[in-house]
Amino acid sequence: MKRSWSDVALSVWGVLVFLFLFAPIIVIIVSAFNTGRLLVAWDGFGFDGFIALLEKPAIRDAVWVSVQTGAIAALVATVLGTLAGIAMARHPGKWVFWFIGLLLLVSVTPEIVDAVALLPWLVFLGQDAGLALFNDGVVRLVVGHSLFATAVVSYIVRARLVGLDAQLEEASSDLYAKPLTTFRRVTLPLAMPAVLAGFLLSFTLSLDNTVIAAFVQVSGTTPWPVYVLSALRSGLRPEIASVSTIMLVLTLVALGLVAFVLRRAGDSATQIARTMTGN
Amino acid sequence: MPRFALAIPAWAWLVVFFVAPVAMVVWFSFGYKPGIFGTHANDVLSFDRYVEALSPTFFTTFMNTLWIGLAGTALCLVIGLPVAYWMAVKAPPSRRGLLIALVMVPFWTNFLVRTIGWQVILAPEGWLSTLLQGVGVIDGPLDLLYTRTAVLIGVVYNYLPLMILPLYVAFDRVGTPLREASKDLGAGKWRTFARVTLPLSRPGVIAGVLLVFIPLMGDYITATVLGGAKGNMVGQLVASQFQTAQNWALGSAMAVLLILVIMVTVALGGLVVWLVTLPFRTRNRLVLGEPPSSEAADTPSASSVSGSGLADDGAASADRVPEEVAS
Repeated sequence: MKRSWSDVALSVWGVLVFLFLFAPIIVIIVSAFNTGRLLVAWDGFGFDGFIALLEKPAIRDAVWVSVQTGAIAALVATVLGTLAGIAMARHPGKWVFWFIGLLLLVSVTPEIVDAVALLPWLVFLGQDAGLALFNDGVVRLVVGHSLFATAVVSYIVRARLVGLDAQLEEASSDLYAKPLTTFRRVTLPLAMPAVLAGFLLSFTLSLDNTVIAAFVQVSGTTPWPVYVLSALRSGLRPEIASVSTIMLVLTLVALGLVAFVLRRAGDSATQIARTMTGN
Repeated sequence: MPRFALAIPAWAWLVVFFVAPVAMVVWFSFGYKPGIFGTHANDVLSFDRYVEALSPTFFTTFMNTLWIGLAGTALCLVIGLPVAYWMAVKAPPSRRGLLIALVMVPFWTNFLVRTIGWQVILAPEGWLSTLLQGVGVIDGPLDLLYTRTAVLIGVVYNYLPLMILPLYVAFDRVGTPLREASKDLGAGKWRTFARVTLPLSRPGVIAGVLLVFIPLMGDYITATVLGGAKGNMVGQLVASQFQTAQNWALGSAMAVLLILVIMVTVALGGLVVWLVTLPFRTRNRLVLGEPPSSEAADTPSASSVSGSGLADDGAASADRVPEEVAS
């Protein structure tokens, strides 16, 4: 069949837009192998930037803080979000309307507003209210990163369970399983793909979080994106690109796992796309 | 045990770390900055900070942000719509998973890092500049970085995946049979697109526009990396009031105003679109046995109480509907 000019134009446009989407990423990956002093100016090919990760404690610490807070924040968000998602799907009522309203508010509030609001609040909790816990850098970052992630996990878990019949749980209780047993042996396994996907998404969201982290961090526990943000002012060196490339690979592995988990659970490509954008 | 018992931990967490701090910011916004060393005081309450935040110096930035927000969203729609259509309709089904994955990669690359990528590309000494000078398109070094145009390129880039994905989902949901039916009834491909595919994809368009516009308006990083002094956005104003000027009262008022501007713009935009499309919608109305996605999106099934509350928001409801319809 001969392709019409509009089809050809669409394909060309599609390819161009994909090139546009990948242009800066390719630039960063190429710059990762730059041996020069500045990211912008190409000098030669080499692995100097990657070696910096091993040699510079500041970079190593930043990456470690990011991974650590990412994992803890993801755990917090997954526990809170899973319970909330199950409650919304299995015990609907008027309250769900208000609760989703709250989740929506959390997801549409600009990050910068969250950030400027959390800073004085954590200072208040830590100093005026005397809760020394909130002076800890890791705790602050976990709190900041977990907000949006909690909303995302709640949406995903609810969406999955709403799509599954509650009959299995009813059967379980008809067979005299205690509510807790039903929850542990039936509801949770049903929700598991969504829970795992939610955990990994929360982890990557947390690794990515720059704005809130920049405000709530205390010196000594600077996460990687905030380190990059401060490097922006003092001059970007190729090692920024090198470490970012490693982080990108880490993120892609996590997302590959999400897609794999969802596909195993029988989702189509479209459903995976929707889950992974947090809807 | 109340029905919402399992949601209490999440609810409490969000109330303590989201509602309370944001409420505190709203409270700060009615106060003032006492002297050089204080950050905020609330013993005298007034709207003065709001007046101050709208004074000419800051008002320019608000207008600038709104301009970038509207232009950026429009560009994302114009650029993303054909791509989403191509992915959902024209590309071979076996390759769709790969294409979606390719859209996701930039979406999940660190926001700051991909923006820095653009800084490298657009830099006057960068390779794009060299290339364009070599070809002879421009005479001197590329003068794009640290302008409003650079910020616009940056935000279109950063938020484009958020437009493509919901549009893709919407186009995918329309399905081949309706398009073929339209063709069998004698409509050309443009007519089919304008009168069948696009109207049925309305929830996706609404979701995409909201998913792009709302975070874009609050963007802080893109303007910081690419904007310099000329491409300022409100996010930076708020940040600088808290970080450098130490005027929390004014910064809070700006933050509240930012949220209000976003809400009012979305409401006005929704109203305008609703009014403009009113004649088309009455004329194009076609009622099938069971109305597909477009109509169902506005009235989610009664079994899902939550959906109905979201209908006026679009972003979440439009994307959540399929599960409810499917169930």
